[in-house]
This record gives sequence, structure tokens and C-alpha cells, in this order.
Amino acid sequence: MTMLKIENLHATVGGREVLKGINLTVKAGEVHAVMGPNGSGKSTLSYVLAGRPGYEVTKGKVTFMGEDLQALAPEDRAAAGMFLAFQYPVEIPGVSTTAFLKTALNAVRKKRGEKELSPVDFLKLQKEKIAQLDMDTEMLKRGVNVGFSGGEKKRNEALQMAMLQPKLAILDETDSGLDIDALKVVAEGVNALRSKDRAFLVITHYQRLLNHIKPDVVHVLADGKIQKTGGPELALELEEKGYAEFSGDAALRAGAKSK
Amino acid sequence: MFQNMVYSNAFLQTEAVDETTLPWLEDAQKLGEQPAADWVKALRHTGAEAFAHTGFPTPAWEGWQYTHLRPLTGTGFHYAVEAPAFDVNVLPPPLLKDSARVVLINGKYRPELSDAPAGVTVMSLMDASVQIAGIEEHLVTVGDLGKTPFKALNAAYTHDGVVVTVKDGTDVTQLLEVLFYNIGSADHPPALHPRCLYWLGKNSGLTVMERHAGSGVYFSNIYAGIALEPASRLKFYKFEEESAQACHFSYTALQQQKCSSFEGFSYAVGGKLSRQEYQNLLIDSGISSMLAGAYLLKDQQCHDFTVLTDHFEPDGKSVQHFKGVVDDQARSVFQGKIHVRRAAQKTDGNQLNHALLLSEKAEASFKPELEIYADDVKCSHGAASGQLDDEALFYLQSRGIPQQQAKSLLIESFLNTALAEVSFPPVRAVYEERIRAWLRH
Repeated sequence: MTMLKIENLHATVGGREVLKGINLTVKAGEVHAVMGPNGSGKSTLSYVLAGRPGYEVTKGKVTFMGEDLQALAPEDRAAAGMFLAFQYPVEIPGVSTTAFLKTALNAVRKKRGEKELSPVDFLKLQKEKIAQLDMDTEMLKRGVNVGFSGGEKKRNEALQMAMLQPKLAILDETDSGLDIDALKVVAEGVNALRSKDRAFLVITHYQRLLNHIKPDVVHVLADGKIQKTGGPELALELEEKGYAEFSGDAALRAGAKSK
Repeated sequence: MFQNMVYSNAFLQTEAVDETTLPWLEDAQKLGEQPAADWVKALRHTGAEAFAHTGFPTPAWEGWQYTHLRPLTGTGFHYAVEAPAFDVNVLPPPLLKDSARVVLINGKYRPELSDAPAGVTVMSLMDASVQIAGIEEHLVTVGDLGKTPFKALNAAYTHDGVVVTVKDGTDVTQLLEVLFYNIGSADHPPALHPRCLYWLGKNSGLTVMERHAGSGVYFSNIYAGIALEPASRLKFYKFEEESAQACHFSYTALQQQKCSSFEGFSYAVGGKLSRQEYQNLLIDSGISSMLAGAYLLKDQQCHDFTVLTDHFEPDGKSVQHFKGVVDDQARSVFQGKIHVRRAAQKTDGNQLNHALLLSEKAEASFKPELEIYADDVKCSHGAASGQLDDEALFYLQSRGIPQQQAKSLLIESFLNTALAEVSFPPVRAVYEERIRAWLRH
């Protein structure tokens, strides 16, 4: 079953065209990796899919679960089953993580026509999920992402994903700011969610994340377009050669191997 | 000091009265027919004299640059000696059950609608003026009437209001709600000038919720004295929820003695034009004086908080912590000053004001001031206005939280730091509930 279909997608940010005709189809159960150099449009793609204001689609179409995505507000996309794990999760002082999770989960359940969770059921679910992610319950009392380390922020993203049970999860540079142990925990959290009904779009600059989250399909994004599509071996190839062949820009020749 | 003087209402013959001030003073003549203590008569006279000389402040006055009085001065308000007829069912229910309640209708104390907690004495201002020895000390402040026209005008009409006293050593456990319910009228808008006093004896304690609410057009001009004797403790939670057509001016004169503590919070959402002025005098050592507040303004409302905290002696701790949300074409004003006198060493004073502007036409003005003459003190101030964080808003929406709810969540979290100054959880919960209700408007 086709979950996400992107056709000839063009998008601008601040009047500058960043996406220049993207075509991509993701089916249920698949894990797609989108790799590319800095400035290739990876984060823009994730924001366009999640509906961030200021990211304007100028041409083309995105269909998610059979629905035209452009017609949906960000919250309706979340209710429809889309989840973006942010590269830089936002700090929200004064709103506790628990209150935030509860508000989000119940808002989504309401829109999906499900009953809101009772406080007890919510706490049970939350407890189960934080145990899986090896998280400290103390974090739940703190303001959302306030004073969290890079690793804690990404775990918090994984926790939200586990609570909201999306159909399509977009992971935007989830490995950035993570040490290897945190990376493993977050990757395990993601892998625990893999199922035949759920798809992932893993956006990353480096191959190392894909050692832990094994993709079915790898795309190379450069200059706002998908330049090449292949199997997992393509990621290894990029690790070896860098992104230079996909761009005339000398600055990009440093390649994916630089770290 | 006025005891041997006899006053009539001859002030209206003073040459200072002109066509702009006369309409505001002429109703005071009605009070001349009522018996009153000499100090009351003297206070009326002094107040009227002062107001006749100054009239209302203009933007050229210090402290009045930002708050313009057109909505008030453009309406003809009149004082009435008699309270209007009203239906007792219009009164809002108490904020918290198990509290005692004192009710004033249009500034007039209504004993038949009131009850007092054990240990608290409540009486009308006029009764108290003849029955409580030494009370004028806390109700007469004539020194600066020339600079405080609203206080002067209130003094000219000294008659209405209520006096709340707690005896030495009494820790009052029951909450006291003081409800000022005002009934306005578009045809004959009333001017209300109640003068009130909260007087806590040595080592006594009290928690007050002071509410201001009503309907229609009126001008509520309140003077409240708060006298805290040594080691007394007052929690003073204000709800300014006047009718949308009302003007609310209040002047609170807080005087704190040695080692007393004051915890105040003011929630301001009502009235088209309002100003709450506080003069907090910490006249001895070891005093704690915390005043916080939240203002939520919309449409064309204008609200002004003007706060002076004055440290006289060492080891005082004070806070002025205000947060506000300003929507539509509303305007907010915050003028805060912490004054630390030479003797007031080891003072710890903090002032913080933040406003969140929800629309392009909303305005917030600040005038933060520290005036410090002692050399061993810790004082800070900060004032800023900003908008809702778009990134945070998108983050919440991307998790399925509808935009309006996400905005409310961010606004609540913004106000929470000021609300955290309220140490009494049931009242904090009432404030939170009211903020949520306002956000749903």
C-alpha cells in the first residue's frame, strides 16, 4: 500500500527555491533513507512534509494516506499519522513534558475519533514507553526539552513517537548531537516501532545511523532533486566516495566521509 | 490633628474649582449633610481642595505619560449617597467554598450580605471612623494629594468603604473574600469612591481575595490602606474583573512594620481603562514584600500597573513580578520602582516585567526604575516584550495539538512564572482556571 507519494515537488523558503522537483514513493512497512550533503534540501523536505509555515510548495503534489497533504494543517497531518522527529527539538519552558505528551496524545486521539485516555491509562502507557527508552522519569516533570542534553532531546523525540504511534515517521538528522550509546538507544526505539503498517523516512548526512536503522531504499538528494536511488549498498558507496559526483559545487566535495 | 477644626463643604467656593473639576466635585456636597468625625470632614475638604487645584493628570505629569484618561474624562460620572436597588441573585458565587465573604455594592458595605471569619472584625468605614481609636492614622494620607489626583478625589468623597481588622496574635484560618460588586448604568453612570483598610495586629495572619466585578458603565475609584503591624502576615489576592465598560482606579497604600510579610497577586482583565497603583512602604527591618500579577488585555483595553517599593531599613526582601498578555489594540503599562534608602543595607529587591504581544496593534510600555542609596544591596530589574515563539508553536502543532490550543498552552506557560509567586495552591488554581477561561474567549 502506498503511504506517501511525492510528485514533482518544488518548494521555496524565503523566496529561494530549495526543492526542485522531487519524486518519491514510500509504501507501508518500508524504511527509506534520504542522504545528501549540507544544503541539498533534506531538512526542507522534512519541514514541507510536516507543514511548517514559511516553507511554500510552488509546484507538484504530496499525497499521504490518499489525502492531499497541502490541504492539511500541521496538527491534522499529525492526526493523519505523520510524525517529524526534529533535528533541533524546541525548548518550551513552563510546559512539563508529561503535560505536553498528554495534551498531544489526547488531541490526536480525539481527531482520530478515539476516546481520550484516562489519567491512569495515560500514566501506565507513559511508564511503559520511558522504560523502553531507558529514560529518567525526572525528565517528565521538567519543561519540554528545557535543559536536556542533545541525547535527552532525541530520546524525548523517540518517546513522543512511541506515544503517538504514527504511520509515517520522518527522522530529520536524528543522529546529530548524539554519542554512540545514545544513538543505539534511539535507534532501538525506532526499530521497536518498525512494522508492516508503518513507514520511515530517515534523513541523514552520514551513513552511521543506517548501521543501526537498516533502510530498504536509499535516495541521494542533492541540489533539490533525488539524484540516485538504490538499495542499502548505496549508503556504503556514499560513505566511500562522498557526495561529489552529485554536485558541481566544490564545497560539497568534502563529502560524507568528513566525520 | 484636625480635631479642633470645624469643616463645612465650603470648599466648593474655592477659586480653584473651574468648569472641568466642578462636575467631579459637586456631588461631594451631599455628604455634608451626613454626620461624620472631624478627621473625615477634614479629609474630604483637603481632598477636594487638592483635586480642585490639579484636576486629572495629563500626559505631561510624571507617571502619566502612557495612560490617557479620555475614556474616563469624556463620560459624566456622578456620586450617589444611596446604593442602587439590585437583585441579590446577580452576585457571583464565592471563588472558594468555605470562605467568608464581605460584600460591597457600589462601594457601600452591606452587612446583611456579609459574614466575617472568626477573629476578624468588619465594619463600614463610617462606623469605624468613630469606633476604632487611631484609625485615621491609616486612612489619612494628605502629604502628596497634589500629586495623586485620584486619591484626592477619593478623599473628597470619604464615606463609603469597609474596615477589616485582625487582633494581635490571631492567625485567621478561614479565607476572606471581599467582593466589590458594582452596578453601572449607561444613563447615569455612577462614580464610586470607597476607602478601605486592612489592619493586621502584631503577629496575626490573614488571607484575602479581593474581587472587583460588575455590570455596565461605572467609575470605581478605590483607596485601600493596608497596615501590617510587626510580624503580621497578609496574603492579598486581587481579582480585577470589572465590567468591560468600566473604569477602575485603585490606590493601595501598604505600610509594613518590622518582620511583617506581604504576598500579593493581582489579576487584571477587566475594565476599558484601569490603573492599579501600589505604594509599598517597608518602614522597618526584616520585611518581606512580594507583589506579582498577571494582566490579560484585549479589544481596546488599557491597563496600568504602577508600583513603588520603598525600603527604609535593612534586611528587606521585595519582588515585583508581572507578566502580561496583550491582544487586539489593547495597551499595557508597567511602571515599577524599587527605592532603597541609605539605611536599607542587605536589601534584596527584584523586579521583572514581561509582556507578550499577540497582535501587531497591541502595545506594551515599561518604565522600570531602581533608585539605590545603600551600598550593600542585591537588586535587579528586567523588562521585555515579545511575541509567541513560532518555532514552539509549530513544534506543538506537529504533535497534533490544534493551533489555538497550542497558543493557549504557550501563553499559560508564559504566565506560570508569575503565578508561581502565589504560595496558596487553591487560589493559584482559581487563577489558572480564570486564565484558561480568558484564553477560550
